[in-house]
Amino acid sequence: MTRSRDAWRWTAALILVAFFAALVAACGDDDDDDGGGGGNGGGSNQSDTSGRSNQQLGDVDVLGIWGAEELTNFESMVAPWQSDTGGRVNFTGTRNITAELTLRVEGGNPPDIAIPAEVGLFQQFARDGRIISLDQCEGLEDLVRDNYPDAFVELATVDGKLYGFFMKADTKATIWYSPQTFEDMNMEPLDADASFDDLVELSQRFVDAGLPPWSIGLESAETSGWPGSDWIQQIILNEHGEDVYDGLIDGSVPFTDDRVKDAWEKFGQIALTDGFTVQGGATGINATNFQDATYPPFTDPPGAAMVYLGGFAAGFIQEQFPDLEPGTGFDFFTFPGGAVTGGANIVYAFNNDPATCSLMTYLASADAQKIWVEAGGFTSVNTEVDLDAYPDEVARRQAEQLLEADSFRFDLDDAIGGGLQQAYFTGITQYLQNPGQLDSILQSIEGSRGTD
Amino acid sequence: MIGRKWWVPWVWMAPALILLTVYLAYPVLDTVRRSFQDRRSENWVGFDNYEFIIKNPAPLVADTHSALLNNLLWLTLFPLIVVPAGLVLAVLTSRVRYEAVAKSAVFIPMAISFVAAGVIFKFMYEYNPNIGTANALLEQIDREPVAWLQDTRAPQRWITDSGPADAPGPLQINNLALITVGVWMWTGFALVVLSAGLKGISTEILEAARVDGANEFQIFRRIILPILMPTIMVVTTTLIINALKIFDLVWVMTGGRFSTDVVATLFFKQSFVVRDFGVGAALAVVLLLAVVPVMLISLRRFQFQEEIR
Repeated sequence: MTRSRDAWRWTAALILVAFFAALVAACGDDDDDDGGGGGNGGGSNQSDTSGRSNQQLGDVDVLGIWGAEELTNFESMVAPWQSDTGGRVNFTGTRNITAELTLRVEGGNPPDIAIPAEVGLFQQFARDGRIISLDQCEGLEDLVRDNYPDAFVELATVDGKLYGFFMKADTKATIWYSPQTFEDMNMEPLDADASFDDLVELSQRFVDAGLPPWSIGLESAETSGWPGSDWIQQIILNEHGEDVYDGLIDGSVPFTDDRVKDAWEKFGQIALTDGFTVQGGATGINATNFQDATYPPFTDPPGAAMVYLGGFAAGFIQEQFPDLEPGTGFDFFTFPGGAVTGGANIVYAFNNDPATCSLMTYLASADAQKIWVEAGGFTSVNTEVDLDAYPDEVARRQAEQLLEADSFRFDLDDAIGGGLQQAYFTGITQYLQNPGQLDSILQSIEGSRGTD
Repeated sequence: MIGRKWWVPWVWMAPALILLTVYLAYPVLDTVRRSFQDRRSENWVGFDNYEFIIKNPAPLVADTHSALLNNLLWLTLFPLIVVPAGLVLAVLTSRVRYEAVAKSAVFIPMAISFVAAGVIFKFMYEYNPNIGTANALLEQIDREPVAWLQDTRAPQRWITDSGPADAPGPLQINNLALITVGVWMWTGFALVVLSAGLKGISTEILEAARVDGANEFQIFRRIILPILMPTIMVVTTTLIINALKIFDLVWVMTGGRFSTDVVATLFFKQSFVVRDFGVGAALAVVLLLAVVPVMLISLRRFQFQEEIR
C-alpha cells in the first residue's frame, strides 16, 4: 500500500512541477510574447526583423483599440521603424480602452503611448500633467503643426499647449448603398446639398417600391446606442449648425433645447416609421449588432436600400462580401447637408523617453501613415499624404470629404465622454422603446451633465 | 506544546497574514475610505455617495435602484431554482446505472468560465433567427423572434403577448434570460455536492423506511431532506454569495445595459468608465454589507458543526 501511495505522491509532485514550469514559461518569458495588460486583440509580437541598427532603442508599450485586421495593418506600419531603430513595439489592443487606460494610469503603470478614439480622457490627462506636451520630443511639435489641418491641431491643444496628434480618421457622413440596387430601382443617391426632408422622401419612395429603405443596428454591448448618436449628431450639425453642436459639448446648449429635440425626432422618424427599417422597429434595431446591420443592403436580393454608418463600414462590407468592388458594388453618398462629423484616434505619450519620442515622430509622419493608407481602411489627416496612395475610389473620396469639409466636428459622444456619454447612449435606446417619453429622457440626460 | 516560543505560530502564519493584509484588508479599508470621498478621491463628502445610491438621481448613467433590485432578483431566484434542481437531479441520478455519465453531463458547464458561457449564450440569444438558437426554435413554431437580451418587458409577454407590458422592477425577459445562463452553469455544482451528501445517508435507514411501507416521496420528504439540510444550507449560501457577486455573465452578455445592471457591473462602470470613484466605492461597500450577513451565517454554521463533532 505504501509503495503505491508513494508512487502517487511522486506523480502528483511531478505534475505540479510540470504545471508550474509551463506557467512560468508562458508568462515569464518577456522576449517573445504579449506585452502589457489584458483586453482582446492580444499583443503584437514583432519577430525581430533585420535588427541591424545604429541606435538600439528599447521597447515601447502602446495601448490602442485595434484588433484583427487593423492590428495587422498597424504592425506593417511600424515594421520599418522597428527595423530602422531596433526598437520594438509592444501593442495591446482593447475596445474597452477607457477602462483599461484609467486602470493602468491610476495604478501607476501607464503605457508609453496611448491611441484611443475619445478625447475626454486625453484632456483630463493633459490637465493633470500626466502626458507630455509635444514640444518635449524634438521636432515633433513642428512636424505636427506643419502637416496637419488647423482644425485637428486645435482639437489636440489643451490650455494652449499641443499634447497629441490624430491618425486614422473616420468620416461619419457616409450613407452606404448598393449602386446596383439603386439603378435597378431607378433611384438616385442624394447630393451633398440635399436636405433631411429629401432623405425622408427618398426613404418613402423606397417603401412605395417595396424595399425597406434603412438598415439600422444599435447593439454594441455596454455602449449600445452609439450608432443612433451618429445619426443625431449629423442631423444637428447639418440642420442646426456648428454653434448648437459646440454648445451641446460645452454645456451652453442643453439637451432639452428645442433644436436638439428636433434632431432626435428626425432620427425617430427614420427609425420608427412603419416599414422604414428592415429590422422592423425598435426591438429589432436595439437587438441588432451595428456590424450585422451593414449587411442587408448588399445581400442578393437586397434586404434594405441604405445603411448609415461611418467610413469603417467599408471594412465590414468588404469582409462580408469580398466579391463586391468598391465604387461599383458598394458606394456612399454624403449625409444630406454636407457637414462632416468624424472620429479619429488621438496619439499621445506618457513620457519622453528616446524610444517613445522616436515612435511618436514616426507615427505622425506621412511616410508611416502612407503604409496603412495603401493597405486600406485608413484615412490620414496628414496633408502630406498623397491622395493617390488610397487603394480605391471609395477610400479616396472619404479622405477628400474629411480634408475638404466646410464644417468638420469631432464625434459628439466621444467629445462628451464619461457619464454623460453613458446617459446619452442609454437615452437613445430608451427613446426608441418609448418615443413618447422623449422630454423626460432628454431631461435625464441633461441632468447627468457634470458627471465628468 | 511545552517549550515552544509564543511567537512561533505567528511566524508560520506571517506570509499568509501579510498577503491577506495587502490584498484583502487594505483594499477593503481603502474602498471604504473612497466611498466617503468625491469622484477623484480628493475631498471628503460624507454620505453623499450613499445618498446618490439611495436617491438614484441619474438613472440613465447609473440606475442604482435597478441594479439593487436586479441583485435581489438574482439572489432570490438563482438559488431557488438551482438548489431544487440539483436536489431532484441528485436523487434521480442516484437511481440509474448511467449515474456517472448523467452527472458529468450536468456538471460540464461548471468547467468553463463565466465569460465563455456568456459568449456562448450571447450567440444562442441572438435576435437574428439565422444565428440565435432560441429564436430559430421560435421560428420553427411560427412565433416572432424575441430580443432576449434587450427586452425589458414582463416575462409572460413572450408567451401570450398579453397582460401587463411591464412587470414590477426586475422581472424582465432579459434578466430571466441571464439567470437561465447562471442556472445552466451552477446546477452541476449543486448536483455534485448534494449527491455526495446523499451518498452519506446510511442505506439502513432507507431500507428500514421502505420495509415500513413508506413510498419514495415520503422517504424523500421525511428522511433525505432533513438529513441533507446542512448540505443544502451550504450550497444555498454559496449560491447566494455568487448571485451577489455576479459580474462576468452580465458584463459579457449585455454590458449591464437594458436594465440588466447588477451592483458589480455598476460599480465597475462608475469607477472606470464614468470615473466617479466615490460612487463606485460606495456601491462596492453596499455589496460588501450585503454579503457579510450571509458569510456570518455560513461561519456560524461551520463553528456549530465543529462543535458537534
